[in-house]
Amino acid sequence: METLTALLGGFETALTPQNLLFALIGAVLGTAVGVLPGIGPALTVALLLPVTLKMPPVSAFIMFAGIYYGAMFGGSTTSILLKTPGESASIVTAMEGNQMARRGRGAAALATAAIGSFLAGTIGTLALTFAAPAMVTFALKFGPAEYFALTVLAFTAVSALLGSSPLRGLVSLFFGLGLGLVGTDLQTGQARFDLGRPELLDGIDVVTVVVGLFAVGETLYVASKLRGVQDAVMTFRGRVGMTRADWARSWKPWLRGTLLGFPFGALPAGGAEMPTFLSYLLEKRLSRHKDEFGKGAIEGVAGPEAANNAAAAGVLVPLLSLGLPTSATAAILLAAFQQYGLQPGPLLFQSNPALVWGLIASLYVGNVMLLVLNLPLAKVWVRLLEIPRPLLYGGILVFATLGVYSLNSSVFDLVLLYLIGLAGFAMRRFDIPVAPAIVGMILGPIAEQQFRRALAISQGEYSVFLTRPLSAVILVLVALVLVGPPVARWWAARRAARAGEPSRT
Amino acid sequence: MTSPSSPDSPRPRGISPADLALALAVVALGVFFLVETFSIDVNPGYARVGPRFFPLLVSFGLLGVGAWLTVGALRGERAEPAAEEDADPDAPINWRSVGWISLGVLAQVLLLDRAGFVVSSALLFWLGARGFHSDRPLRDLAVAVVLSVVVYVAFTRGLGLTLPPGVLRGVL
Repeated sequence: METLTALLGGFETALTPQNLLFALIGAVLGTAVGVLPGIGPALTVALLLPVTLKMPPVSAFIMFAGIYYGAMFGGSTTSILLKTPGESASIVTAMEGNQMARRGRGAAALATAAIGSFLAGTIGTLALTFAAPAMVTFALKFGPAEYFALTVLAFTAVSALLGSSPLRGLVSLFFGLGLGLVGTDLQTGQARFDLGRPELLDGIDVVTVVVGLFAVGETLYVASKLRGVQDAVMTFRGRVGMTRADWARSWKPWLRGTLLGFPFGALPAGGAEMPTFLSYLLEKRLSRHKDEFGKGAIEGVAGPEAANNAAAAGVLVPLLSLGLPTSATAAILLAAFQQYGLQPGPLLFQSNPALVWGLIASLYVGNVMLLVLNLPLAKVWVRLLEIPRPLLYGGILVFATLGVYSLNSSVFDLVLLYLIGLAGFAMRRFDIPVAPAIVGMILGPIAEQQFRRALAISQGEYSVFLTRPLSAVILVLVALVLVGPPVARWWAARRAARAGEPSRT
Repeated sequence: MTSPSSPDSPRPRGISPADLALALAVVALGVFFLVETFSIDVNPGYARVGPRFFPLLVSFGLLGVGAWLTVGALRGERAEPAAEEDADPDAPINWRSVGWISLGVLAQVLLLDRAGFVVSSALLFWLGARGFHSDRPLRDLAVAVVLSVVVYVAFTRGLGLTLPPGVLRGVL
């Protein structure tokens, strides 16, 4: 009941004309950056941070929320109509959806993706509405030791579960943690890693890091390995819509995908990649049209797209209720809170309910806007894919340098941007994921602060992290995340060997 | 998914110099952080866990993953370049394109304060387009100038940000 009252209050905030306008701007921008290659939600929010500094926080976050959800909608359009896979979470959509488009069923693929995204986003937001306050009640008992353990859990999940190998995730994580150390130590006021440059005393700005790793790194990498011929955009006839049979085959995958995606996002289990893949495998197993998989089965688009969006909603639970980001976009949203001097977490629900609930309510509103923007207007968005790449990436470079320069009006930041961009280029070349670096850079200082607080309280007893039950439980989870996958693989290999098949490992 | 680079299937292909270089770069970063950590002033008796503790953890972490990468590289492991929209992971690196874009950013760094935002950004845009093999330099130039002017006006008049006007002071 309390939650519903709070949510109604949130709608009062979200439905003012001004905030509706910002939600719409966010939804449009989000869909656009989702469709466009080379630019994504994390980068967009980072570039907007300097601009939104003077805006009321609620309006800024409502716009960011629209971008966050909108990029998911737009991303599926690209993966259905372009052959090349974009972000890892939409690889499976790219497989089935693209096959559907080739067989002249592009309109149905776009529709099942958009409606599935809407449904999963709405159910996911509903789950968020009730899960976040429950988590807050729980989180109020947390002390510094628990918070430190949670940050370790987020670090482990984001680096060990994402990407191709835990080692490469850890390289990225430590790089990010190192970037986060630069600047003045908050507790003692000592300068660290400033290399004698006064510009570095305040630390490296998150915007510089995100824009460098995403925009500059991506531009350098794509240019260095540019496809000779720009991928042809698949065409489709008629209105975006589904037949009765399409509906019958879509609704169950939507719901199953949602059920799968939300918990993966909510428990810091590392984003949308895994649930979309699991959803695809599940739908393939359950489908009566197994032969169509790989050749354009609608279930293979409906399920993963729903899982993708439900996971995106789930990621907001630990972000809002614990201040714990588990994806690059969530990390930059945390940085946005910090820009306003706000710290997401249980206290924010008490100190600033209008902001939190306005944001949650705007997610419902944004979802409806996105459905309306994406179903009838799909053909308009598709045209964005026809922008010649030299102009698209030229524009990305201009906005990247503009955003970073406007932080401090300092050219020094642009030099830093280029160096970090080179690092981002190398990371793509060597298959090192970018997200752990972003999460490490933003969450690292918080982890250090909580660690030192916990030890100050325990008077230097390092055992405090294991003797406090909650903290110990979380650290056991960390161990499971680290040890679980290799053990599971070993177990599977052993079973395969027992079954008489020669094991490959 | 088994990629040729996964540790499960080491192929006798020899050591990849690029992968080894990356591994050593990570080690070097670890050494750098370690050395810098010891130059952080510590106020004795201030706190049990001082400003050096976390930097030490991060330094050792970097050294650890760097060593791990080095061992892998010496055993012939190599990374698969990332698959991105518009990029062909199997293509060799085109350093000329990297050069054009770097030149563009350099132009922005050197000229932004002197020649102003419009000039330096238009140059960055144009050089960036060169990096993407554009064969229509005049179209690029036209788009570059229009975009830079529109952005300059929108940001300085509309959003109240300050950008250097440079040579166009008084014109815009």
